[in-house]
Amino acid sequence: MNPKKLSIEKIQEALRSRQYICDRSLATVVYLSINLGKPVLLEGEAGVGKTEIAKVLAEVMQTGLIRLQCYEGLDASTALYEWNYPKQMLRIKLEEVGKGDRRTVETEIFTEEYLVKRPLLEAIQSNGTTPPVLLIDEIDRADMEFEAFLLEVLSDFQITIPEIGTIRAKQRPYVFLTSNRTREIHDALKRRCLYHWIEYPTFEKEYEIVMTKHPQIQTHLAKQICAFMQQVRQMNFYKRPGVAETLDWASALITLHREELDEKSMEDTMGCVFKYREDLHHLKSEVAGKKLNLEGIFKDPMEFQT
Amino acid sequence: MTTQPSDQEIISTVKRFSSVRGQGILANLLAFSRVLKDLGLRVGLSQVIDASRSLEFVDITLRGDFYSVLLSNLICEKEEVALFDRVFDCFWKDITLDEEPMETIELSVPGSEESQEESDGPGGSLEEVVAQATSQEEDRTQDRDPFFLPTYSPRESLNSKDFSEMGIEESRAIGRAILLIASKIATQMSRRKKRALKGDEIDPRWTMRKNIKYGGDIIELVTRKRRIKKTRIVLLCDVSGSMDCYSRFLIQFMYGLQNELWGVETFVFSTSLTRITHLIRTKDIGNALERISSSVQGWSGGTNIGHSLHTFNREFAPSLVTHRTVIVLISDGWDRGDVALMEQEMRNLKRRCYKIIWLNPLLASENYQPLCKGMQAALPYLDFFLSVHNVHSLVALGRTMQKLVA
Repeated sequence: MNPKKLSIEKIQEALRSRQYICDRSLATVVYLSINLGKPVLLEGEAGVGKTEIAKVLAEVMQTGLIRLQCYEGLDASTALYEWNYPKQMLRIKLEEVGKGDRRTVETEIFTEEYLVKRPLLEAIQSNGTTPPVLLIDEIDRADMEFEAFLLEVLSDFQITIPEIGTIRAKQRPYVFLTSNRTREIHDALKRRCLYHWIEYPTFEKEYEIVMTKHPQIQTHLAKQICAFMQQVRQMNFYKRPGVAETLDWASALITLHREELDEKSMEDTMGCVFKYREDLHHLKSEVAGKKLNLEGIFKDPMEFQT
Repeated sequence: MTTQPSDQEIISTVKRFSSVRGQGILANLLAFSRVLKDLGLRVGLSQVIDASRSLEFVDITLRGDFYSVLLSNLICEKEEVALFDRVFDCFWKDITLDEEPMETIELSVPGSEESQEESDGPGGSLEEVVAQATSQEEDRTQDRDPFFLPTYSPRESLNSKDFSEMGIEESRAIGRAILLIASKIATQMSRRKKRALKGDEIDPRWTMRKNIKYGGDIIELVTRKRRIKKTRIVLLCDVSGSMDCYSRFLIQFMYGLQNELWGVETFVFSTSLTRITHLIRTKDIGNALERISSSVQGWSGGTNIGHSLHTFNREFAPSLVTHRTVIVLISDGWDRGDVALMEQEMRNLKRRCYKIIWLNPLLASENYQPLCKGMQAALPYLDFFLSVHNVHSLVALGRTMQKLVA
């Protein structure tokens, strides 16, 4: 897709055709980010599709996805570049045998040929027709040092390698940062980004997502699943299930050839929705205490939309 | 973020900028960002510039898109969205973005009469304000309600001896427990590496560099090992009347921790906050006691945690608190101040620091539940809520510190 001929509607439509259902505000943010060359910071509960949108956008734009998964202790040599030491050593040894010129060797082993490119450098150096999508996933897991370093890269889109010089981005990659908010991101980094909070989807949106991803599902079952999810998310669970869980559950029920949801099949497949023992217990007690009206949800899911 | 301003505050702030109306979209955008700033949101100039650039790319006659553009550019915190929405509705409500080009958009100027109406007109803003005020009043009366006061006696259902009746032996034991805690904190390992003579892994970059002098043959190895993370601790101790029976222990605790560890800052508070780091930086605890009691105002007085935290956040936190700082708050949570303020300050503090540990001597009592409003407001922002009433509880604190390291 040509980035110059985009519009908000086109983005929304293109994402939808790749099975990513998003509301207009998210499409607007993506559109702005492409036009302004500004990174997007996506926050939201786990499993609402923060990572997914970067992947889908890469498909839509027919360009590469470069992913940097953050973790504590992530440093420049893993995120940016590293010299290929074994290769350098081999070259030196070879030159020794062939009595090569010392100066040429010295300059040559510090060229791009001997450079191991890590995600950030790769994203900046890419020279395809369309800039790549750079996904910096779970930035809250990296530490402050890395954040500060990222700030530098994302504001100028250039990287300085002492032995080679400064490498400037020929075209700015489309940058997406995601955060699960396990800690606060520094203001300075936030300010350089467009911010978007992805909410849990509404009943209608979730239903549409399920129907798009699993077109073979019975409509009644899909409604039951979504109604159940909507109810459960309003309750006090340690880890509230996201859209990812909804889709897992739907595909589990399809695999089991269930056409409708009943208490038995729900109990059998609850492992798709809740991943903590405490939550499973909590669910049981809520069902027993009639706080979660299962019968109602199974019988008439449309009544339980919110 | 600050406490939510009332509708009236929003309206009056918006009204202050009413002169820009009719001066084009850029002036209005600037005014809008100023309103947000005045109401306590953090909006940078670069964000405003980007917002105005963004407007070129969308059709601003579509209110939804216009809203998305401003929101994504100016706000970077989910909690700020609600306030943004209210200001947005108030600020842009008179403006009908029709088909005219941007520069010539006519923005209706609200006359003084009209805006007078606004403040007590539809939307029930005045009623809301009144309702809010009365509910606050109710809160206060509830605070004063003797029913809410602690029916607490320090000896109540405590199995082991309380700090309130501590002797020499116990203070030795405390000293040992504190040493344990201190060493746990002081040796926290970072995941980052530094070059070291005897490290656990080879640092290829520096090995290469170091061996250039041998013509590229590897003769010397440079290794690296994990760095020790220097964790700073800030102690905030409640020395109000309700904490009296613990004050001896508190001093011992503060003194012990500060003298065993690098980078401990100590504050005491009752109705106001006092920094006592310099007073207890000494090996002589007897003198330290005298110096503290002579320089701390309001010892054994009332409690205003919110106000004290506010002072701390404003004056000390910017320089003392980083993402490596562990805040240790020692208080029973009986607060006579503004609960909303306290909640807001706890939130601000949480945002700055690494962990907040609240030590509450009352927690050991079986009948105790953190019901008082102050404690309730603080709970969501705590990483650990522990009891300190005897030596065992201190050992438990040591274990928690170990968890922090892992």
